[in-house]
Amino acid sequence: MEQWLSLFEGFKYNLILFFVTILCAVPLGLLITFCSMSKFKPLSFVSKVFVWIIRGTPLMLQLFVIYYAPGILFNTPMRSRLIAAIIAFIVNYASYFSEIYRGGIEGIPKGQYEAGQVLGLTKTQVFTKVVLFQVIKRIVPPMGNEIMTLVKDTSLARIIGVGEIMMSAERFSKEGLIWPLFSTGLFFLAMCGILTILFGKLEKKLDYYKS
Amino acid sequence: MKKFLAIAAAAAMLIAAAGCSQTANETEGTASDLAYVKDNGMLKIGYTVINPLNYTDDNGELTGFETDFAAAVCEKLGVEPEFHEIDWNSKEMELEAKTIDCIWNGLTIDEDRKAAMSITTPYLENRQVLIMRAEDEAKYTDSVDGANVVAEASSAGDELAVSDEFFANANYTDVQSQATALMEVAAGTADVAVIDYVMATGSVGEGTDFDKLTFVDKDFESEQYGIAFRKGSDITDEVNSIITELVNDGTLKEIADKYELTPLLIAE
Repeated sequence: MEQWLSLFEGFKYNLILFFVTILCAVPLGLLITFCSMSKFKPLSFVSKVFVWIIRGTPLMLQLFVIYYAPGILFNTPMRSRLIAAIIAFIVNYASYFSEIYRGGIEGIPKGQYEAGQVLGLTKTQVFTKVVLFQVIKRIVPPMGNEIMTLVKDTSLARIIGVGEIMMSAERFSKEGLIWPLFSTGLFFLAMCGILTILFGKLEKKLDYYKS
Repeated sequence: MKKFLAIAAAAAMLIAAAGCSQTANETEGTASDLAYVKDNGMLKIGYTVINPLNYTDDNGELTGFETDFAAAVCEKLGVEPEFHEIDWNSKEMELEAKTIDCIWNGLTIDEDRKAAMSITTPYLENRQVLIMRAEDEAKYTDSVDGANVVAEASSAGDELAVSDEFFANANYTDVQSQATALMEVAAGTADVAVIDYVMATGSVGEGTDFDKLTFVDKDFESEQYGIAFRKGSDITDEVNSIITELVNDGTLKEIADKYELTPLLIAE
């Protein structure tokens, strides 16, 4: 019982990481997409380099850099482990999301923009009233995939000492109890199960062209 | 245009990096670590959970020999102890980044660590023992030739397994933690684990999931525990004299008695 309580206590951190990351990375990703697709070349260049760096290095390394670099380089140690982890996850996932969004936006035929213009809509109007909803429909499956990965990636936060569920479980294996470590799988399975159902429902709801 | 931008960006990054390292160097030489800690009003202590050094008791309170010892020293130092559970592999980085001020967790003193950090006088003794499945006791007690041996990466057990002749003909692998090492042996993926005596008494045998494991004390050269501060820190001397005070007034022995570690106590 004591062990289950401790696992729940640890999983709280995984949930905080998960929800805060989703909440912030979804809009931040869109911002990065707009920067990457910008006609203003320096902006799109910087944005693309940023996405390359974030997607091109391990999340584990990014956690190290965000938590330890301020103290080592600028002599101002990070105060909170959880906040450092949250920043790393938001930045990392926003970069991946931004590429999913870009794929979704670029997949919409140019003809729709032209048709919109002929009808007297501005470019912004075409985007918000015509394109956006089709994009949302298209990106749901890849986003679901990425969000599922996020659930499990939250356990990486243990390397900078965030007391998440894997770290809680390892405390027991040190004292000679193995089952808590393996039981952590149930928590992730349950979370991913719920998300699978939610995304299935969402996809059905967005399937308005066929019905 | 694109090329120019790329070069400009790279140059900017280099300048930024150079700037950073400079400021760091300037502050390092002058600032007193002791003053820094006293200004903060707290000593950030890095630990990992090891029964009986640092662990959570039935009331959910952090306790253990090292925990009580650290609290006693902090009281004399006039600061509050703040305990941070860390990943053992990142301990040097934690110190350097000032996310902790010391490693106080049964840290074995060795030459490499002495060179990298400022370590107090030894206060507790410990040695590495072999963990194996009970049925293998006869097989591996005298020789581990051909056996799969594991120990925690960058631990004292790791050091021993790499350097001691006893392990010369074994297949050695380092793993994430002492707990993982135990699990490897329990799962049969390894035959022998090299871990701390202190930890072995707390985690192997009856009443644990590792009740089919046993430990063999080969009387390997004993190690000594010390507290590690940042390299060049002036806290070390201060803490050394506090340890002497705690030995003289009997406080340290009292704490050791509480956790049945008195025979291992070596502080003077």
